Amino acid sequence: MRKFWLRLQYTKWFNITKDGLFKENPIVVAVLGICSALAVTNRVENAIAMGLAVTFVVTASSLVVSMVRKVIPSRVRMITYMVIISAFVIMVQMFLEAYFPVIAAALGAYLGLIVTNCIVMGRAEAFAVKNPMKYTFFDGIANSLGYTWILIAVAIVREALAFGTILNFRVMPDTWVNWTVMALAPGGFFVLGLIIWGVREWAQNFEVAAE
Amino acid sequence: MNRTLKIIGFVVAMGVITSSLLIGMDVLTSERITRNEQALLQSKVLDAFDIEYNTSNIYDTFVANVEEVNVEIDGQTKPVYRNPETGSISFEIEGGGVWGPIIGVLTLNEDLMTIEKVGILAQQETPGLGGRIVELPYLAKYEGVVFDPSVEILKEGANAPNEVDAITGATSTSSSFQIILNTSYETVVPAYQATLGGE
Repeated sequence: MRKFWLRLQYTKWFNITKDGLFKENPIVVAVLGICSALAVTNRVENAIAMGLAVTFVVTASSLVVSMVRKVIPSRVRMITYMVIISAFVIMVQMFLEAYFPVIAAALGAYLGLIVTNCIVMGRAEAFAVKNPMKYTFFDGIANSLGYTWILIAVAIVREALAFGTILNFRVMPDTWVNWTVMALAPGGFFVLGLIIWGVREWAQNFEVAAE
Repeated sequence: MNRTLKIIGFVVAMGVITSSLLIGMDVLTSERITRNEQALLQSKVLDAFDIEYNTSNIYDTFVANVEEVNVEIDGQTKPVYRNPETGSISFEIEGGGVWGPIIGVLTLNEDLMTIEKVGILAQQETPGLGGRIVELPYLAKYEGVVFDPSVEILKEGANAPNEVDAITGATSTSSSFQIILNTSYETVVPAYQATLGGE
């Protein structure tokens, strides 16, 4: 068992996954895509829906970019990413409007704004365009799940404090007074800031000032 | 030259592939999306008529309990929904807001002057300001307001039966909504009365 674990730690896909989830987590370490992380995290269900939508878009667009990476003329590669990403985002939007209209209404404009989520473009340019499809798949999944778990963590804190519930189940005592500011943008900044601090402290990830 | 051609070819191919994917997706989902929008409208009408329903029987309840009267306005037909038991009517209202169209449902009493309920189907107003127009406690202020001869949305001190409080900090949304309510009322209700009288 120990031997298996040791060997696992030296496989490429294991390290890609670990980087995406923790060591190079897009929100905590790179601080990418925090616009949507602040906007939709007032309810856990919105955070889960947003996380799944981003997971699909990142994974699918990275896979396509990786698939066509040898034919993309380097001059138009950014536009190529943009077109591929937009196509997938519109598809997700249509799918949610058709099958989950309530979630689509709750996410509102932020669903379409996945196009501008830096994580999607970032993974395409930093990883997918240089790596084969099998590793790109792990990279896409790991990075977007890294995004999703931070979103859910923020949303759990915010929903509990702002509405006294988690996924609409009452978790706070009846005497709990709803903390409205947590449902608004400042609450998002406070909680996200604390979580980024906490995770960086735990992972001993410090930025060193240039000499 | 060769490289330019290659780039153009690539861009065209990419455009064709992605747009055909999107067209395919649209064909698959557009019917359901229209049905969802229809269900939202029907649920708002049923809410206003105080008819009970659940998410799975909206369509059946609507067909069984609501009468549809087609009213002609400027050569176009517009459905007006009527509750045969009480005589109250409900119709879609639409007009420009600050950032985009505001679409809603207006329900009037059997006297065709008193508002029974106002519902919002779609809007793009500023979140936190004009966007608060969707909040039920705000919309509840419209219940019982009378078109006498028109509704007025005031910044403060709404006392008369035809006055309503505006949304704080959303002057433009409030005045647009006043225009939407009054123009819809002035066009739909006379046409509805004419249709009924002609029958």
